[in-house]
Amino acid sequence: MSRTRSLVTTSWSRRDFLRISGAGAVTLGMMMVSPSLLARSRPWARHDAIMELLDGAEPDTSGVTLELPSVSEDGSNISLTVRVDSAQENGEYVKSIHLFAPDNPNPEIAVFHLTPLSGQAQIATRIRLNESQRVFAVAKLSDGSFRIGSQDARVTVSGCLTDDATYDSSGLMQARVRTPRSLRPGEVGEVLTIINHPMETGFREDADGNTIPRRIIHSFVAELDGETVLRADFHPSLAANPYLRFHVKPNGSGGTLALEWTDDEGETTREEAELSVS
Amino acid sequence: MDSIKMNRRKLLKLLGAGGALAAAGPLASPAFAARTAGRVVGVGGGFGGATAAKYLKRLQPGLDVTLVEPAREFYTCPFSNLYLGGMRQMEQIVHGYDTLKNRYGIKVVHQYAEDVDGEAHTVRLANGETLPYDKLVLSPGIDIDFEGLEGYDEAAAEKLPHAWKAGDQTRLLRSQLEAMDDGGTFILSAPDNPFRCPPGPYERVSQIAHYFSQHKPRSKILLLDAKDAFSKQGLFMDGWREVYGDMIEWVGLSDDGRVVRVDADSRELESEFGEIHRGDVVNVVPPQKAGAIAHRAGVTNGSGWVPVKPHTFESQQVDDIYVVGDATIAAPMPKSGFCANAQARVTAAAIVAELNGQDPLDPVWTNTCYSVIAPEYGISVAGVYRVIDGEIREVEGSGGVSPRDADAAFRRREAEYAVQWYNAIVQDTWETRGLQKTLT
Repeated sequence: MSRTRSLVTTSWSRRDFLRISGAGAVTLGMMMVSPSLLARSRPWARHDAIMELLDGAEPDTSGVTLELPSVSEDGSNISLTVRVDSAQENGEYVKSIHLFAPDNPNPEIAVFHLTPLSGQAQIATRIRLNESQRVFAVAKLSDGSFRIGSQDARVTVSGCLTDDATYDSSGLMQARVRTPRSLRPGEVGEVLTIINHPMETGFREDADGNTIPRRIIHSFVAELDGETVLRADFHPSLAANPYLRFHVKPNGSGGTLALEWTDDEGETTREEAELSVS
Repeated sequence: MDSIKMNRRKLLKLLGAGGALAAAGPLASPAFAARTAGRVVGVGGGFGGATAAKYLKRLQPGLDVTLVEPAREFYTCPFSNLYLGGMRQMEQIVHGYDTLKNRYGIKVVHQYAEDVDGEAHTVRLANGETLPYDKLVLSPGIDIDFEGLEGYDEAAAEKLPHAWKAGDQTRLLRSQLEAMDDGGTFILSAPDNPFRCPPGPYERVSQIAHYFSQHKPRSKILLLDAKDAFSKQGLFMDGWREVYGDMIEWVGLSDDGRVVRVDADSRELESEFGEIHRGDVVNVVPPQKAGAIAHRAGVTNGSGWVPVKPHTFESQQVDDIYVVGDATIAAPMPKSGFCANAQARVTAAAIVAELNGQDPLDPVWTNTCYSVIAPEYGISVAGVYRVIDGEIREVEGSGGVSPRDADAAFRRREAEYAVQWYNAIVQDTWETRGLQKTLT
């Protein structure tokens, strides 16, 4: 309690403002009619990375759901799930999902390249947010069209959480994998992976003030008997120890699911698991 | 004029605001002291609800204040870990309502509040009675989210206690620890944020390590965590090593610490990647949500918690309902008894101001969380919070944590401060006493 500082006097509340203006609704209304009206309805328009991806195309604003906590007490590790309402089969499928945190130093979070073998256009992962912002997901479909979804995320460091980032480098590039024990024909299975890696952004400094060089896992590939299930590009806005939950829909009697991660130093980790369909 | 001055002084004192607020002036109105109208109902007799009731009466004695709380006595979560460690008795963490009733004239109704009608401004009690209100203060704390963890329902909690509401659950966990053989394994599963008392799981394993070191020194403690970082992490881990050697093992999220399924009969916990951990005593600190009455009142959102207006803690969704304490979304303020107490004081002042046609003040809240690792080993984190750009933020440069390199005397003093902190906050909340000056 003794650390409490003196207060400054009451600040102007919105209610004061409305009361004094005597015409609250009108005033507020006028404030909202601004040149940014167009931008408000297309909130991604001011983000270059997204506009570049869209390349002039107008995305559909329905069909992409982003789930992340409205308030996060630790910006270094925020759960995110993205889902695209679409078939995922030959002829009609989601080709890629792109995640953006526009107010991060590096707006790209990750790109997921899907195939009909993915079975379902749904990915769960964990991301970093430098500050409160709106996170975007853009889906590119096999017919060339785009869809976009977004979600506001507030980041606050809890008073009872300290920023005590320590990374244990033992076990670097060690992965854990969980795959379905067996699948019925046509069933979509869930694959869970995590790999030990600091995902060093290149923005941090060590105790002596020297920049710690960037070192991230930049690519992940999942193949079923040599055919691509999922290919992912990771960026520094993906959280340390990349976590991925995706899906697989094997043809026929299943096969060997091979997972491979590669980092900036060229180190790779490969894991294999048998997927049986019966 | 005397009474006006006193009220103002009290209000300033309770806000910890010093003289600067005198310029704000809204309390200078003679109406402030003269008005007696106003019915305020509080639901929940913990740190938030009891404090709000008391300060409402202090600020405006003419107010009609009713506090609804089913229990005759309240067991505090703070220091309940010390009961588990054998450093406190349950009788030392229980508090009654006599002073609030007798000295402040608060009507205390020992009933369960079943429902709220925000339109009609009424609270319905389990006995069928209906209480009308002008302003309602909900301080319901947490409920366990029994949908949030596979296999963990109310029956499972009788076998694998959560002990995250103090009382019978805490006694159950202690009796299991007492029945465990030396050389056994105690497992605690800690949830993802947000949850009540961020340092709580880590203080708890410290206290249980204290008990083991005295009575069952060959036993082990495994802490499975759904997070990669936790409150006062460096300080806790230093303390564990210094005091308890390698008795406590912590497994974080990235090492597959997140528990996704429990089997109460076999006392097994299954991790996200399929590892099975079996314990002799298992303490599941499960996912949580705002207490039931907040959901009934319609003040919760999709997160299961209550969004509030930062200046007053009035619900963003229902007028005239104020919510304080663990049930709210107040981050970066943690879900702590201290914050509930601080929020309740600000809210009491906001309600009195509103009933008198005044604007709420610009609030400041403080928080301190002490954790007692051993009888002579305390650590703390403190923070000061204000509304900045329309949201609650920690004041830059305020607060902080205990130093990493402090000596034994410093740690011992912090353990003493923890006791003084407890005695002070229960005095402020229920006007009851803590019973002992020291922990040993």
